[in-house]
Amino acid sequence: MGASHTRTEPNEFQDLMDKTGFSVEQIKNLRKRFLQLSGNEETISRENLDSIPALANNPLKKEIINAIFDKRNQHESEVGSFQEIGFEQFLMVMSHFRPPTLKTTPEEKEALRKEKLRFLFNMHDTDNDGTITLDEYRKVVEDLLSKSGAIEPATAKGIADAAMLEVASTNVPHMAPDEFYEGITFEHFEQILKGLEMETRMHIRFLDVGTATMRCGRSTS
Amino acid sequence: MDDLWPVAVGVFQAWMFVVVFFIMLPAMCGLSLGVTSVYIQILVKILEWATLRIQRGRQEQPSVPVPLPNGIIERAGGSMEEEMAPAGAEFSLSDALFFYKEGVESIVDDQVTQRFSSEELASWNLLTRTNHNFRYISLRLTVIWGLGVFVRYGVLFPLRITLTVIGLSWLVIGTTLVGFLPESSVKTWLSELVHVTCYRICARGLSATVHYHNRDNRPQKGGICVSNHTTPIDVVILANDGCYAMVGQVHGGLMGVLQRSMVRSCPHIWFERSEMRDRHAVTNRLRAHVAAKNKLPILIFPEGTCINNTSVMMFKKGSFEIGGTIHPVAIKYDPRFGDAFWNSSKYNMVSYLLRMMTSWAIVVNVWYLPPMTIQEGEDAAQFANRVKSAVAHRGGLLDLDWDGGLKRGKVKDSLKEEQQKKYSSIITGQSDHDSSSLTT
Repeated sequence: MGASHTRTEPNEFQDLMDKTGFSVEQIKNLRKRFLQLSGNEETISRENLDSIPALANNPLKKEIINAIFDKRNQHESEVGSFQEIGFEQFLMVMSHFRPPTLKTTPEEKEALRKEKLRFLFNMHDTDNDGTITLDEYRKVVEDLLSKSGAIEPATAKGIADAAMLEVASTNVPHMAPDEFYEGITFEHFEQILKGLEMETRMHIRFLDVGTATMRCGRSTS
Repeated sequence: MDDLWPVAVGVFQAWMFVVVFFIMLPAMCGLSLGVTSVYIQILVKILEWATLRIQRGRQEQPSVPVPLPNGIIERAGGSMEEEMAPAGAEFSLSDALFFYKEGVESIVDDQVTQRFSSEELASWNLLTRTNHNFRYISLRLTVIWGLGVFVRYGVLFPLRITLTVIGLSWLVIGTTLVGFLPESSVKTWLSELVHVTCYRICARGLSATVHYHNRDNRPQKGGICVSNHTTPIDVVILANDGCYAMVGQVHGGLMGVLQRSMVRSCPHIWFERSEMRDRHAVTNRLRAHVAAKNKLPILIFPEGTCINNTSVMMFKKGSFEIGGTIHPVAIKYDPRFGDAFWNSSKYNMVSYLLRMMTSWAIVVNVWYLPPMTIQEGEDAAQFANRVKSAVAHRGGLLDLDWDGGLKRGKVKDSLKEEQQKKYSSIITGQSDHDSSSLTT
């Protein structure tokens, strides 16, 4: 208020704000991070993400990087994956992890939750046929567990099979013994994770300037 | 034009007179006229005023952003065990969520990448180079900034250049002269004198104010001094207060000249590049030096590369395998007066030194820690970690386990294997009875 010296907020961010729901300051912070990751280029490739040390630690690194480059997560109807992504696409992916604010209506909350579930589903459903098959599921379990011998491969397979069986029995209660359970569809997926608190498990608190202003003890007025 | 020449000569003579008698000679004797401390106090007052002004400006113009020192996301901080295993749950689809969230969090903000670029300040210290986010706030601030530019570039910079040139040439000449003497205690004493005086002059050349703490813990002869590494200037800072044997690669050019002359008077350890690859050769030479108990303490920076002085990264265990007593030292630069970190991928040595000489000043705190030795049942890596934690704790720096070599290289796969093992043990711990029934 008052001082006419404010720089006009770039309208380019207005567009991004509407699409992704981030605030201006969050977008600026993410832009700085984007440039840091890309080495001041306009696009990020998989190699740029590969060089983050903390990510290299993560057993599901491959799935995560694929999700970032997945076209399905861009809220458009394309499939496949990008080779490189620009800042807008980066923001779109990150927007899946935003928590609901106080102003979100219950319908919006439900939509947000569905979005997050869709993101997760896409991470598992790598061939994009609409179902998570046993093979795809096994892949994730294998990645999570150690290959070094803490768990034998048979055990790992057993764990994946058991989990899959449980999903089948919950969702298709009257399956005949010789019927083949094709895979987890999105509806089944939603059903399984119904009780899960998506709001806490899958969000990242992006700091906003409004909440983290640094006020020293001395008042200056 | 002719009458300008004697004027110029006169000015130059007056200049040199001031430099030599008021700065250089007291520096060599280790005295101080107190000008620098007065300067620092004035500077602190000005910076405090500037900070208040900027904060007031922020409240009036809410569009001016605030830098976030701890990263751009707030982490909930749950560990793998807490998130995964509420009272005996088995493997479930939602376990993967923990890893996904952690993964995306590290893409957005991680602890390591930020260590290789300069620290962002909470408030502007009136240097253009730290002006990331600060916009026009008031006229008075801009005037002070302009004055600062004039003082730094017009007054301080020529002074500092002169001092550095004098200091370095004195080092080369002095050590070469001392090198002609035969080996004797006089030679050792003279060489220490030459080294210390020259480093003191160089320190004045950077307007460095160093506060040494716990000087009774200073490294002794036959010991190894380790410290965290921020910049090549660390060497000047430490050598102001004692004589060390330096360790490093043989360089060409100006550095090579310095190295060759230094080694004439006092046994420094310079390695050829080919020798560096052979770890055993390196360790043997260092061992031989330490074993001769009357030689100067070796100065080593076990991080292996420059870190931005907000944290201490992994100490490489090679330095800790030599044996002998380790004397740890913690160095912390005050970022308000100038950014001492050398970002070698961004600036070369010459532009780095120019930036140093046009900062306000360099204010350093050096803490000497009590000596440490390797204990029973400890291997070199654990010992290195123990020393690192002590240094980080004393200097108020963050203690990280990551390798400074990540600046240029990639993470080893074995770290990912650690995470997988941890998760596996959580799962097998719960579903022992289940898995046995499954593997039929």
